[in-house]
Formats: sequence, C-alpha cells, structure tokens
Amino acid sequence: MRILRNVFRRKLRVLLTIFGITIGVLALVVMGSMAEKINMLVSGGTRYYSDKVTVAAEGSSMFSTGPLSIGKYDAIKAVPGVAEVSAGIATLLETDTSVSFGIPATIQGSDLRGQELESFKVTYSDGRALRADDSGSVVVGSDLVGKLDAQVGGFVSVRGERFQVVGILDKTLTGPDTSVWMTLADAQRLFVQDLPEVIRSQVDKNDLVTSFVVYPTEGTDPEQLALDVNKAVPGVKATGPKAFQDQIASATKIFSAILYGIAIIALFVGGLSVINTMTMSVNERTREIGVRKAIGASDGQIVRQFLGEAGIIGLIGGVSGLVLGWIAVVVANKLLESSDLNLFLVTPRLAIGSVVFALILGLVSGLYPSLHAARLEPVVALRYE
Amino acid sequence: MPTVIKGIDIHKRYVMGKDNYVDALQGASLEVEEGEMVAVMGPSGSGKSTLLHILGCLDSLNKGEVWLEDRRVDTLRRGELANLRRNEVGFIFQTFNLVPSFTAIENVMLAAEYAGKGRREAREASRNALSLVGLSDRERHRPTELSGGQQQRVAIARALVNGPKVIFGDEPTGNLDSSSSAEIVEMMHQVNRDTRTTFLLVTHDPGVASTCHRVVHMLDGLVTNSH
Repeated sequence: MRILRNVFRRKLRVLLTIFGITIGVLALVVMGSMAEKINMLVSGGTRYYSDKVTVAAEGSSMFSTGPLSIGKYDAIKAVPGVAEVSAGIATLLETDTSVSFGIPATIQGSDLRGQELESFKVTYSDGRALRADDSGSVVVGSDLVGKLDAQVGGFVSVRGERFQVVGILDKTLTGPDTSVWMTLADAQRLFVQDLPEVIRSQVDKNDLVTSFVVYPTEGTDPEQLALDVNKAVPGVKATGPKAFQDQIASATKIFSAILYGIAIIALFVGGLSVINTMTMSVNERTREIGVRKAIGASDGQIVRQFLGEAGIIGLIGGVSGLVLGWIAVVVANKLLESSDLNLFLVTPRLAIGSVVFALILGLVSGLYPSLHAARLEPVVALRYE
Repeated sequence: MPTVIKGIDIHKRYVMGKDNYVDALQGASLEVEEGEMVAVMGPSGSGKSTLLHILGCLDSLNKGEVWLEDRRVDTLRRGELANLRRNEVGFIFQTFNLVPSFTAIENVMLAAEYAGKGRREAREASRNALSLVGLSDRERHRPTELSGGQQQRVAIARALVNGPKVIFGDEPTGNLDSSSSAEIVEMMHQVNRDTRTTFLLVTHDPGVASTCHRVVHMLDGLVTNSH
C-alpha cells in the first residue's frame, strides 16, 4: 500500500501521533462502555416501568424500601383501573454488600401473579421459568451464573440456604442479569431471617413484602393510576413510569455526558497532534507536492492524498484504541466479577462509533494541512528547500 | 513543421516585498517546432528556468502569451492547467524528484494515474515507458537503490508515460557525472527520434546543447539569439 508507505516515512513521529489517537479512543471506549452499561440498565428500567405502577411503603425512595403488609393487596386490587397486583420482596443477595457503582445483586421474590400482563419478557438460556409452587428453587440472572456457580439441576447457596436452579436467564443487559428469582415465600423467609432480632420477633414473615407491582387495565394511564392508588390506599407510595424517568434516567444522562465529555477531550488532543504531524509532513514534502503538481496532480488529488494519509492515521489509532479499550474492559469486568460489579459494556454502536469518530477526527484534522498543500503553486513548491 | 510551443513577449516579475522585485523575463519570445530538440542556454539569472516554467504551465506570467499548438494556455484556470500538465507536457528536473518511498514503477505510475488511467492500465503503460528507457529490470527498485543516471531515466519514463507533446527539462544532466550525462542525452535523443516528442532543455552544459537541433541563448530576461 503506497499510502501506508507515505504515512510511515517518519515512523516515530507517526507512531507517536497514532498513539495519541489510540489513547483518546481507549478513553472513549472505556468511558463510553461505562456510560453504555448505565444506559442499558436505565433503558431496561425505563422499559420495565413504562406500563406499570410500583407500590412501596410510604416514605420509600427508589433506593430504599421499607416493609409493607401483604394485607394491602386487596385494597390496591380494588382500585379502579387495576388489572392485577403482584406482591414481591426485593432484597440484597448479600447482606454485607457495600456501596456499589452498578446495580447490586438482588434476590427477587414474587408471588408471580400477573405474569401474563408483564410486557418486559425475559427468555431463558437454559431451564425454565419459576412457578408458584417452586419452593426451594431459583432462576439465576446471567451475570450471577459464574459467581454462584449455577447450572440447571444443580444447587446454589443463597444467604446460606441451598436452592435448586431451575432456570438461567438470557442476558437482558439490565436489572434481571444481577438477580436471583425465587418464590415469595422463600424470599420472605430469607428477608426476615436477616432482620435484627427485635424486629424479627414482631413481624409475621408471611405478611411481609417490600413492594407491589400493579398492572393497569388496558387503556388506563399508569400515572393516573398511581395517583388513584395513593388516594385510595393509606400508608403506601405508588409511583408511575415518570418517577423512574425523573429520578434515575435524567441523572444518568448527565453522568453519561460527563464520561463522554472526558473521552472526547482526550480525543481532541489526539486530533491536534494529527494536525501537527500532517502540517509538518506537508512542509517537509513541499517539493514533492510541487513535483506531483508538475506531473499533473490536480488540487483535488493532492487534497485526497493528504486527507487519505490523515484518515489512515485516525483509522489505525481508532482500531488500536478500540482493541486496547476492549481488552481493558474485558479484563476490568473479569476482575470485578467477584464483587458483583459489571461496570463496562462495549456495544456495537460504541465500537463502530469510536473507530468512525477517530477516522473523522483524522480527516478533519488533516483538512487544513491538505488544503494548504493543494493551494501551493507548483513552481513555488518546486523551489522549496 | 507545425509550431508546438509559442511564447510571445513574455514578462515575469517576482515581487519579494515593497519596492523589491526582480524582472526575470522582460519580453522573451520563443517558438519550438514539433519534433525539435532545443537547448536554452544563458548565464544564471538570465531567465532560462522561468521561461521553461511558464512555457510548461508551471508558473504564471505578467504579460505576454503562451500557446501550445493552436491553443492559448496562459489564460487557463488551475484545473485546466493541471489537466494540460498531466496529458500534454512532461517534466524532467535536475534533482530527479522521484518520490523516495515509491519504487521505480510506482513513480512512473503516479503520473499515469493522475492522467486517469486505472491501476492495471497505468502499470502496463509504466512498464512500457521503463522499457523505453532501458530500466525494465529495475522497476521494483526504490530511488535510493538506483544510480543518478538510472533515477533520471525513471524521471524520463515518468515524463513520457502519458505520451506528451513536449518534455521540458530543467538542467536534466546537472547532477550527473559525464558518462551518465552522455547516457541521458543519448536517451532523450532516442526518445525524440522514436516518438517525435519535442524537447526543450535548459542547460549550462555546452556539450549537451551541442547535440540539440537548436540552441537558444538568453540574457537579462530576453531571448537574444537562436541558432
């Protein structure tokens, strides 16, 4: 390839420039994969909450929920516009989980009512869905398979108890990946056994849930239904899809913007070094440009030649940055696996986007030096020493 | 013989700054016929190279006219000039000016590709041109692997590849030892005989000039005599 030979005439300088772009793209891939992971989690959450109402104890927030009595079931079910209500327990898989960057691994207990109304469908890589009579059984999310050493038919230990695995979920790239699903009764037992002794003695484990999922009837606005539930049922806090959007999605958008912003600044520094390299290259090759013009190169052909060289620098930097970034992400995810953290996700759009961005950056950075080269008068360029 | 190049009353002024200029050409006129091999001689600063560059459409003029066959070319736009340089004229320089990272054949192909030939067609034409200058066995060599004479032969092949009407040589033997110089002069004569390509050569070497059909002398920006 003649263009590659031209690019690598000054090997060290070009390699350093490519290294600059590589570092930028590496930052873009690593930061971007973190943002992508969060975006996927959030978009999964947005999809999950989009058509239902979530009922928690009064005073609860998205991040902490208090216990509720299952006795609220009837009152909620009686609210006009409610098609079905499902009672559930959500609690941390490990009680000693510290502050987590992603979604911590959870136990999800459910009475499995209203499953036919659930629009967020999950599929199974192995085994089957949980049934209401599956006492002592669990379905495991894809990210926890390694951690729990789960296989269908085998047993896993959850908070010190043995459960048989009946199903393993396909990757959803959102909440269910880090969840273990079990019957409500099993989850209630685990939830209560870890409560402080003072509280444990006062609660009936069979009465305890942490939330209800309310499925609206067709045509019912879930936001309005949340208001109706709050009005009709005392001591609960019902939220519609907008609450998730307001509390989580908006905040993560800013976070993503900061991550991408840092990476793009790194890339622009790389872009400046392409401008520098190409300008020096044009200066050094002024005489060659004169010769090329003397033998018939048009302005457009000179522009294309130098743009091509700048594009190649961007492309090589982009691809090597992507490869290094990808390796970094895989290694980081592997290292963090044991602590439930699956922070990074390289999506196709991120991978393709990073390389295309590096290519465009190379081209844009090469534009000024290329135009400068093309505008040289042949005889002036030929006289250049 | 029909006239292939005609320069009429050419003036060229190089302005270096306010009140600082050089009148390189002050009314030079020259006609070259098809198939002629003409040497331009004169002392340094007499305007030889400037005249060559203007007649070869590499430089602009301030006054006068340049004709290539029956077409006036000094009024053409940049794109039209590039088109003319790639199809109708060829250049050979004192310092060969080959692209160092390209092989001999790639250097020749460059001109063929600029002229719109596809990769295969350009390779074929370049092979023929290299064969014409006796360098078929060196086509994969880089300039640094060739002697000065061989590099200049590659440059002649590059100038020839698109079948130009005129080849302009700016001191084409200036960087060569006497035997290489004689070899290149003979090569140009051979091309001139075989293809009827017109040559206009600027030279300081009376030996080179003496082999040409005609010698034009210049002094102070004017063509003084032609014999």
